[in-house]
Amino acid sequence: MKLITAIVQPHTVANVHTAVDQAGVHGLTFSEVKGYGRQKGHTEVYRGAEYQVDFIPKARIDVVVEDDHVDAVVAAILGAAHTGKIGDGKVWVTPVESLIRVRTGERGTDAL
Amino acid sequence: MNPYPDWLNPGDNAWQLMAATLVGLMSVPGIAVLYGGIVQKKWAVNTMLMAFTGFSLVLVVWVLWGFKLSFGEPMKLGPGILSSVIGKPRSILGTDNTHQAVIPLLDGAMPKFRFSESTLAYFQFVFAAITPLLFLGSVIGRINFKVWLIFVPLWSTLAYSVNAFLLWGGGWWAQAHPSISSAWTTGALDYSGGYVIHLAAGTSGFVAAAVIGPRLARDRDRAVPNNLPLAAVGAGILWLGWNGFNGGDPYFAGANASLAVLNTNLATGVALLTWVLWDIFASRQRKPTFLGGINGMITGLVAITPAAGFVNTFGALIIGVVASSLVWMSWNWLGRTRLFNKVDDALGVIHTHGVAGLAGGLLVGVLADPHVVEYLGNGADVSDVTSAGWLWGHHPFQILIQLGAALNIIVWDAFITFALLKIIGLFMKLRLPDEVLEVGDIGVHDEEAYPDDAIVSGRVGATFADKPAEPVEG
Repeated sequence: MKLITAIVQPHTVANVHTAVDQAGVHGLTFSEVKGYGRQKGHTEVYRGAEYQVDFIPKARIDVVVEDDHVDAVVAAILGAAHTGKIGDGKVWVTPVESLIRVRTGERGTDAL
Repeated sequence: MNPYPDWLNPGDNAWQLMAATLVGLMSVPGIAVLYGGIVQKKWAVNTMLMAFTGFSLVLVVWVLWGFKLSFGEPMKLGPGILSSVIGKPRSILGTDNTHQAVIPLLDGAMPKFRFSESTLAYFQFVFAAITPLLFLGSVIGRINFKVWLIFVPLWSTLAYSVNAFLLWGGGWWAQAHPSISSAWTTGALDYSGGYVIHLAAGTSGFVAAAVIGPRLARDRDRAVPNNLPLAAVGAGILWLGWNGFNGGDPYFAGANASLAVLNTNLATGVALLTWVLWDIFASRQRKPTFLGGINGMITGLVAITPAAGFVNTFGALIIGVVASSLVWMSWNWLGRTRLFNKVDDALGVIHTHGVAGLAGGLLVGVLADPHVVEYLGNGADVSDVTSAGWLWGHHPFQILIQLGAALNIIVWDAFITFALLKIIGLFMKLRLPDEVLEVGDIGVHDEEAYPDDAIVSGRVGATFADKPAEPVEG
């Protein structure tokens, strides 16, 4: 099993969701996060004072999949999140040691 | 010494200034926070700033020429309607507006004002100001802010002033025309702006939305509100502010004002409940919704506006039920047709203001009660001023007059809105570029509605380094 984590532009989340679903994986976790990479932040001005905001709102998607699903799901995310502009985000894959479904106690791929 | 000239009545003056203030509160903060709460999080600041700037722009236009265009001496532009379609522009800057207020074409048709011109000008300003703020709801989420700053004063000058003069300044639609039809014995009736304000806002907003173009497709698909409690505050201010809107329009703190206030609140409560019931029994989800209730509330307020002091309280109840039902159907059924999908009227102003204002205006021709006295006669040669609708045995021709005035407002305001935006569009982009639309407030104003101090890296060009605490002696 692998954990696929994607940091993407917030407005692409609905597309990513659809693409992952179509790749045969039904279930993922989405969270609102803020961070920075190569994309520059922006300034905001309140009452004449200028503030530098380096952390930009991003969407984080976490999904655990069977090993033979990894390539398809990563490709689906890349396709759905790509706009070609700086700030499109990153996708990474990490191995998962164990997985347990809370309701039933099922373990491993049975719990997916 | 005496604080009051003979013609000034402190009670009337106090009520008129209070009523005007209530109506002003409907714009700022009423509309600002209602719309600011209903739009997406990324558009709250832009929406609120457009409301505050619109209010300010109209005030400047109003004192320079708008008030007299709307309520001054008629400008003779030609025969027929052209002889009383708009007033002569004149500024009211200076001190001469402390004299007794007068609307030249209505002098003699109503009791003389018991307050000064400044009071009348300010009272009428808050109505002029809220009208563009209402149609702001149609164009939010994409209109170029600079276009807003140019469009509002021009629209107020060319559209609002004509609407107001025609119906309230004693203009052509306010007059009887027995030479055209023997049944044309009174002008069109618009108590507080069902046409002048709401039908005008609904029409202009819809046309402006069509000319400017839609929001981003993604924003239309996900047009979720950012703050419902804030919307509740704005909606509540609108409702109670309407006591000044309709209660101020008799111009005297008399019995007709009291009736207008009671009627306004009853129609509104009933319309709100009617909408909630429609939601429970006929909506797809069969559930009552808060924003549905607010739509019903606004519908009731708008529909009773042209009628508030012409109908009796039973008439107000009828107007609440009928208008709310019509607008619910318009919103849920007509709103899903192709035309309404094509034109991105963001907050549905065409329904809650356009359809509701028109419905209320037509119902005046049916429900106006001749027993409701607007101004008292003297019991001898001067009779009471009253209005009568079809239901009370009056000629149904009044309904046609109401319809005619409505068509005039629709055609004129649609034309002016279209022409102004097409001309402005020759010089600048009406719609913000897509990359700005994607970020919203931060892109347009460098501000956002709910900034997060945890991710601000610091103030640019200034350092407030923490100093170590001074040791305390002793």
